Amino acid sequence: MLIFRSEEHIDKWCKAWRLPHGATLSVEQAWKLADAWYRDRMSPDWRRRTVDEAHELFRSLGLTSEFWRLA
Amino acid sequence: MPEDFNNRVRVRLYQLFIELGRCPSMAEVASALRCGVSDVAASFQELAAAHMLVLQAGSGEVLMANPLSTVPTPFVVETRAKDGSQSWYGNCIWDALGVFAMLQRDGRVLTSCGCCGESMTVSVRGSAVEANPPSVVHFAIPARRWWDDIVFN
Repeated sequence: MLIFRSEEHIDKWCKAWRLPHGATLSVEQAWKLADAWYRDRMSPDWRRRTVDEAHELFRSLGLTSEFWRLA
Repeated sequence: MPEDFNNRVRVRLYQLFIELGRCPSMAEVASALRCGVSDVAASFQELAAAHMLVLQAGSGEVLMANPLSTVPTPFVVETRAKDGSQSWYGNCIWDALGVFAMLQRDGRVLTSCGCCGESMTVSVRGSAVEANPPSVVHFAIPARRWWDDIVFN
């Protein structure tokens, strides 16, 4: 996951790497996703999320497209 | 290895990473837990198989304890704490931001545009985030394929 100056720069990078355009998030969205995903990582009670739990987390952040499906 | 032991290894690894300011070796984790290095090595392998760690191919030492990277990356994370500041490497911009969440600290990511290399700073203060210059984050690989090549991802 990289950060870019603009959508135009993403498109140029995708073309250079011969990859289709993926999903673009605002920096605010990326921060909310990082916060939700990692805030409890050092806890002894942390367990890897199930697919359903991860989907629910993505959904809560508005990430509902096929791109965010884990299975 | 028992799941409880693997969890102790995982938690101690992260604690040492923060205490030392770098990734501990499996020998250092074993010393902290007063167990054998081979036990920690086996645990690392099982944690990696469960996608909880990423290991270096040859040595079996840790490459990624997400969100932290053992090796330098283009995502330098500077965190502020009462007793000063520390710097880390994130595996990607998502992970770099995740360091602030995991440590509950403010700070900034020093990085650059993936396309043109322009210098960028992303600052986190509490729940607020700000990128300078304004920027966007791109996930190139669909979620179901993230672990196909986690290092590229």
